[in-house]
Amino acid sequence: MTKHGSWFSGQGSGGRGQQETVTPDRKEIAVGMADIKIGKAPAMISTILGSCIAVCLYSSKDKTGGLLHLMMASSKGASKINNFKKAKYADTGILELLGQLKNFYGLNQRSLVAKIFGGAKVLKNVTAPIGENNQQAVKEILKENGIAIFASKLGGEKGYRIKFDLETGKVKCQIFGHEFEEY
Amino acid sequence: MENKDKIKIDRALKLIAKLSIDKSSQVLSKMIKSGASIELEDVYMADISRVTEEVMLKADNEVVGAFIDLVGDAPFKFLFYVNTKDSLVLTDLMLRREIGLTKEFNLYAQSAVQELGNILASAISNIFSTDFQISMKPKPPTVINDFESIVFQEYVIDAACERNEILIIQSIFRIVKFDIHCSMFIMPLGKSEQILQYVTGFM
Repeated sequence: MTKHGSWFSGQGSGGRGQQETVTPDRKEIAVGMADIKIGKAPAMISTILGSCIAVCLYSSKDKTGGLLHLMMASSKGASKINNFKKAKYADTGILELLGQLKNFYGLNQRSLVAKIFGGAKVLKNVTAPIGENNQQAVKEILKENGIAIFASKLGGEKGYRIKFDLETGKVKCQIFGHEFEEY
Repeated sequence: MENKDKIKIDRALKLIAKLSIDKSSQVLSKMIKSGASIELEDVYMADISRVTEEVMLKADNEVVGAFIDLVGDAPFKFLFYVNTKDSLVLTDLMLRREIGLTKEFNLYAQSAVQELGNILASAISNIFSTDFQISMKPKPPTVINDFESIVFQEYVIDAACERNEILIIQSIFRIVKFDIHCSMFIMPLGKSEQILQYVTGFM
């Protein structure tokens, strides 16, 4: 068997567990599917999305924020016993992101604003409107929690590359085949 | 699950991976009439957040990928992808014409990747039926041109909706003459554990 080392080392930048998801000293923090990363300036949080949605929450006063990369709208029906990933779902993920920002940085949700991206229909043969459901759920949950959406870029048929700058709160968004745009 | 069973299943997985990857590299070489060597051959269980993060950190290419569902006794999901630029060379190789004639990603390039994916997935399903008497049939491929991370995320998303850890068989082939790297993934879905236990009966 030819083996040149696995592509997957299992040692992501965030490691496992809530404590290790905070990596404020890193310049660029990558966020995988169903995950949350939070940090402070000068860090940059980045992710790549298809039908998933990125919720970026930011406090300009504290230059602190976090990014949730969620996959599905609702955790209803999901088993919450074994290794439940709150960040997989909009309903539990947004609350978890708010909780982490409060617990680690003492941020009050009234100081936060949101920017949301993604929800594309990358696979045309998939009939379930996953991206649209995700978009709707995120908007509703943010509204329920009194968080204003300052900017968004949603839908389409191509993937999104996101770079969330915690120094400025600006998000650079590149849709496949296009240049970066700033939000 | 007992440790003895785990070892058996691990061996079964490695056997499936070896047979599938060896066969695929032979089929690929034959299709494009150029040698394809196996650069990476691996089987691993990965946390969905960590593996998608790793892909994001390590791979930032624009690729063309063919997704194929293998349905039947053993549901598997297959993915074959290559850099968009390299897909143009593959198109010329598939069409048996001078390299460099395909200059942009077009319908021909899309069809070439689709066809390659189809042939490789069929070769794998043949291994299951001839070596293990497991009946599988590839469904028509879906081709997408996007960031490598997107192609990988869309590939794992169905399994990731159900589980937090996914089992992946990964290989990378290098088409030596043109220094093209092709990635191939096979992922067992649903009742995979029973299938793997069944496979251990052949060992």
